[in-house]
Amino acid sequence: MPSANLLGQSLLSGILAGGLYALLGLGLSLSWRFLRIINLSHFGFIFLGAYLTYQVATSFHLSPFAVMLAIVPLLFALGVAQQALFVRFAVNEFGSLLVTFGMVAIIESLIQYFWTADFRRLESGYGTLSYRIGPLFLPVAEALTFLVAVVLGLAAWAALRFTYLGKAMRASAEDPAMAAAFGVRERSLALLVAGTSAATAGIAGTFVALTATLAPAQIYAWIGVIFAVVIMGGLGNPLGILAAGLLIGVSEALTMALTSPSWAPLVSFTLLIAVLILRPGRV
Amino acid sequence: MHVAYGDAPALRGVSLRVGPGELVSVVGPNGAGKTTLVNAILRLLPIRQGTVRLGGEDVTSADARAMRLRGVALIPEGRRLFATMSVEENLEMGCYPPSARRYRDEGIARVYAMFPRLKERYRQQAGTLSGGEQQMVAIGRAMMARPRLLLIDEPSLGLAPAIVEQVFETIRAIHADGLSILLIEQNAARALAIAARGYVLEDGRVVAEGPARALMAEPQIRAAYLGEGDAADPREGGER
Ligand SMILES: Nc1ncnc2c1ncn2[C@@H]1O[C@H](COP(=O)(O)OP(=O)(O)O)[C@@H](O)[C@H]1O
Ligand SMILES: [Mg+2]
Repeated sequence: MPSANLLGQSLLSGILAGGLYALLGLGLSLSWRFLRIINLSHFGFIFLGAYLTYQVATSFHLSPFAVMLAIVPLLFALGVAQQALFVRFAVNEFGSLLVTFGMVAIIESLIQYFWTADFRRLESGYGTLSYRIGPLFLPVAEALTFLVAVVLGLAAWAALRFTYLGKAMRASAEDPAMAAAFGVRERSLALLVAGTSAATAGIAGTFVALTATLAPAQIYAWIGVIFAVVIMGGLGNPLGILAAGLLIGVSEALTMALTSPSWAPLVSFTLLIAVLILRPGRV
Repeated sequence: MHVAYGDAPALRGVSLRVGPGELVSVVGPNGAGKTTLVNAILRLLPIRQGTVRLGGEDVTSADARAMRLRGVALIPEGRRLFATMSVEENLEMGCYPPSARRYRDEGIARVYAMFPRLKERYRQQAGTLSGGEQQMVAIGRAMMARPRLLLIDEPSLGLAPAIVEQVFETIRAIHADGLSILLIEQNAARALAIAARGYVLEDGRVVAEGPARALMAEPQIRAAYLGEGDAADPREGGER
């Protein structure tokens, strides 16, 4: 039986990992629900953001957060352009899975071309910084990631619930023709959703650069667990994503502490299957 | 106007008019093209041929949003509320375009005054309301932003007789306030009873039109739509 300290530390890192999961999954969930696009290239966008953060911050000795401010509009534009392509070629939900799978592969090749397959690590000073709280260590970069995940999740929730644009998105997802009859411009709204979703990938990328070692193949490492978080949280439900991220993050961390690290990947999928069986109709 | 689904024509040269403050009914059997007509007017379907004019302005090239901005509102067949959104959010969709948002508070107050039941349930998910309550939300949603033309598609569909009574009473009251209304109904007796004029639509064509009272008096129409006499073909007697 591990010590109370170890358990406490596992719980903390599980909570923080949950924040990262929610941050990575938020945009995926929004475009799945509101655009009916299952966007695997979201993971490519995240790593594009991460590598750009790494490169620009390293080359120009800038704060990664300053770089992030430039990455956000860049990825917004990329998301808009991508959605325009999806509309132009009338890509449906299933088709989007295939098309965006191809797009991740392209992004991976580009990253490999520019940055090689070597591991890259952003030396920002945040990576090793941590505070001591009693017997526990709070890593600063992970804690910031968690904070940003919560802030973005709450902002997305509030926007969907309290703004006319958010309500129009929900209405349009339910009945596009009726939404159009009441004046919703579905196409421009879709571009906004796509841009916002890609922008969150850019933000997530900066935090991936802060907290992880980068390699092109790592793009695929997150896909399984993030799909579990997104589906479990409920499509287009930012608070659900936060909850599911925490649940999976904590379960994984406790599994690692109590059994062995090799069992951790099983946790997310076991939980996902359990949720799908107990509450079908979530996708 | 002419409208088709792919190669299958649904409206073959239908022409009709609703005057200012007038209540006009379109009746006809299932599949005649009544819903198609409404969707084409709202530009949810493309018009193959023909023109649409609104108060003298040619709006044939307008899109759905432009029609909405010009004050055309819909109470669709089967209500089609945004089921997972609350009653109040559904009403807010009725004043969605930025220029209409100033009517929000006034509109919601008016709808709640008209249907106090909705005020009690303003946070309830629209999909969990009873059929009658859903129809109230659908009416309220269309009335939010002071429309100038209201399109109503089969408001009695799937409702209990007592509720149908209430719905028609509401339509009559809305009309008495001066709104122009195009009322689509299979229930011809009810629809013609509150209309000034009517059109009979069959297989994508207008087969009869005229003052509602005159239509109701036509033996063929009585036979085919008002459930009286033997089933003569109404086309033969229709004034076309
Ligand atoms: N989405 C559609 N695709 C193809 N045909 C349709 C579609 N909607 C309606 N139709 C056809 O158009 C005709 C008119 O339908 P509709 O306007 O719904 O009639 P009504 O509302 O009078 O019952 C019918 O023959 C129907 O089968
Ligand atoms: Mg119909």
